[in-house]
Amino acid sequence: MNSIQKKILLLTTIVLIIMACMWMALTYYNNKTQQQYNEILQRYLKLNEVTSSSQSVITDLNNYMIKPTKEKEEQLNRSKERIERAKQNVYSLRNEENNFVLTNYIHLIDSFMETTNRLLLFLAENDGEGAAQEFSEATRISNYISEMSLTLVDTELKTYDVFYRSIIEQSGEVMKLGIFILLLIIGVLFFVTYWFSLSITRPILQLTKAANELSNGRFDLQVKVETKDEMAFLARTFDRMRININTLISEMKHKAQLEHELQQSKILLQESKFKTLQSQISPHFLFNTLNTISKKAYLEGSEETSDLLVSVAGILRYNLKQIDQSVTLGEELEVLKQYIDIQKARFTDRLQFHMEVDTFCFGARIPSLTLQPLIENAVIHAIEPKEEGGTIWVRVNQNKDNIYVEMEDDGAGIPEEKIQQLLKGTQTEMSIHAKGIGIGFSNVIQRLRLFFGYDDVITIISKQNTGTKVIIKMKK
Amino acid sequence: MMVLCYFTAITANNVFRTDWQLPKPVVSNQEQKRLVLITQDRDTPFWNKVSSGAAKQSEKEQISLEVWGSYGNNEEDFLKNIEIAIHSKVDGIIVQGLDTDEFKNLTKIKASFYGIPIITIANDVPIKDSLRRTYVGSNQYLAGKLIAEQLIQDMGQTGKVVLMIDSKQEFFQNERLRGIEEVLLKYKDINIVYAKTVDTTKENVVIATQDILNREPDADAYIAVNANVVGTLVSVIGKRYQIEPYYLYSFDDSPDSLTLLQEGKMDAMVEQSPEKMGELSVQLMLDWLNGEKVPLDQNGYLTDIKIVKADGKNE
Repeated sequence: MNSIQKKILLLTTIVLIIMACMWMALTYYNNKTQQQYNEILQRYLKLNEVTSSSQSVITDLNNYMIKPTKEKEEQLNRSKERIERAKQNVYSLRNEENNFVLTNYIHLIDSFMETTNRLLLFLAENDGEGAAQEFSEATRISNYISEMSLTLVDTELKTYDVFYRSIIEQSGEVMKLGIFILLLIIGVLFFVTYWFSLSITRPILQLTKAANELSNGRFDLQVKVETKDEMAFLARTFDRMRININTLISEMKHKAQLEHELQQSKILLQESKFKTLQSQISPHFLFNTLNTISKKAYLEGSEETSDLLVSVAGILRYNLKQIDQSVTLGEELEVLKQYIDIQKARFTDRLQFHMEVDTFCFGARIPSLTLQPLIENAVIHAIEPKEEGGTIWVRVNQNKDNIYVEMEDDGAGIPEEKIQQLLKGTQTEMSIHAKGIGIGFSNVIQRLRLFFGYDDVITIISKQNTGTKVIIKMKK
Repeated sequence: MMVLCYFTAITANNVFRTDWQLPKPVVSNQEQKRLVLITQDRDTPFWNKVSSGAAKQSEKEQISLEVWGSYGNNEEDFLKNIEIAIHSKVDGIIVQGLDTDEFKNLTKIKASFYGIPIITIANDVPIKDSLRRTYVGSNQYLAGKLIAEQLIQDMGQTGKVVLMIDSKQEFFQNERLRGIEEVLLKYKDINIVYAKTVDTTKENVVIATQDILNREPDADAYIAVNANVVGTLVSVIGKRYQIEPYYLYSFDDSPDSLTLLQEGKMDAMVEQSPEKMGELSVQLMLDWLNGEKVPLDQNGYLTDIKIVKADGKNE
């Protein structure tokens, strides 16, 4: 059975019990009063019975004397039995107040009976005169009996006067009690019902409030209901639902974020592709032309020019096909060397290039065209502006967990705020006006991050007028 | 709410509290001795004293006693009371003697028939007429003598004395008369006149008094031998004369005696011992019933009498 029903049943039972108790008490009281009334009436009736029975004896006697028949004798005997019974009843009326009179009364009845019996004896002996005398005596005694009955009734009235009055008062009090109890019960019931209904509606109210909050989108407030009935169950379920929704929403948010990032990388890729395609029409022609020129230069004995042209063509080819694929570190470094060869041809002695490579790292995967743009950046900012030229170092080494690719120059350095902008990606395009192959610094950073999946893939350390060091950390 | 609770509690308490004092039922089955004292003149100072004496004694003896009586010499009621007492089979009847045939018939025949002992009190009826067990009260003969001697002492040895008597000639009156006459007849100069009234009702006493005042205007002294006439006697005389010229004497067993004496309208009266009578009668009745004193002295047990004078001096 569930507990709201239990509560209702309990309330009903209590009300019923109270009613029953009241009813029983009043019934008991009524019964008691009734008994008292009966007792009082009995007393009077008993006294009256003596009087009337004695009179009936006299009447029967008279009839019998006039005409002594069997039938009348029987009737007389019945009357005599009746008065005998009445006498027995009178014994119970004895109390301190009327003891004396009552004793007299009983003896008077005895005398009456004796006189009657004597009369019958006289009749039996046919002594008419004696009988007449006894009859008059009996009549007198009967009168005395009725007088004494009245006296006794009078005494009763006096004795019980207070009693009667208190009975009357009592009935008034009962009436009052009834009214007060009625009022009391109404009051108590009102309070109990109020409390009871509150115990049901309060949780509902709390639930409603919680539902309101939920509908307003606040999923972080706990649903609290302090009862033990079905409402509590409802509240618990509701709360669980809230938690579930909450989890789902946060999951959804998380997914959306991922989606967004994915979208972002796709856009970047497309951008790169677009740029590549833009420069794809002429490159094929250029590439073929460059190869022809290279062969021509070689045939004409200008080997140096031929090599330079091969490098340019290599970079061009690499550039054309591999923008959206990962390549090995070795391949990337090869392209880098070709690029440096070209730049050396341009800057001659102004550009010093040193490369220290741990060849065990050649197999690591890396997005294509990541190192070259960074070196290009270094060449543009560190070598080009300085008349005396500069030096660029590239080091590849590894430890237990990571492979590090360091690129260092001794140029003017990058201001701190610019580094921060680069790392956060707010510096949109540095390479728009660049003279190089056109893939920007921030593009590289983004692609590295997307590829490796962690933010600290690139570190930039720069000192004013001393140089800049860019470190790429690749997890093995 | 609290107030309501309070009122409810109070009324509930009122309703269920039963402080009715019902008379207790008689516990002991052992029956007490029941005595009845029957008089003709209830609520007179004299008989009140008798009753209180008797009541005191019966309380002491732990028996129940009731005083019945008729008011103002109602003879019929009085006799009825006696008859009821007899039919009620009380253990003993103490009764003021009444020297009439009906009374004698009741005591002699009916009471004996039921075996109920009777003691006469204050006024006696001779045992041969009433078959009483005994008599408790004053010696009326002596009382008569006492009052007569007081008269001689006050009036001297000559004069006319009117004796107011009731023509019923009751025993106690005759005894008093005997005493008075015995004293007065010694003096030859004292003239005795009898004034008779038919009974002691007021009308008849007035008639008798006026008659004697008319016949004997020169009387010197009055003695109301039956004390019940003295009140009327004084009032009739008072209407006609100043009281002073007469010597007036009576006995204390009427409602008016004491008042008249205190007012000085009576010169002296014989005072009896009513309380003692009551006590003694109950005592004797019990003694007889318990068989401690059988038989009782048939001549009666006499109680003290004395003269009380108007100035309050006892002699």
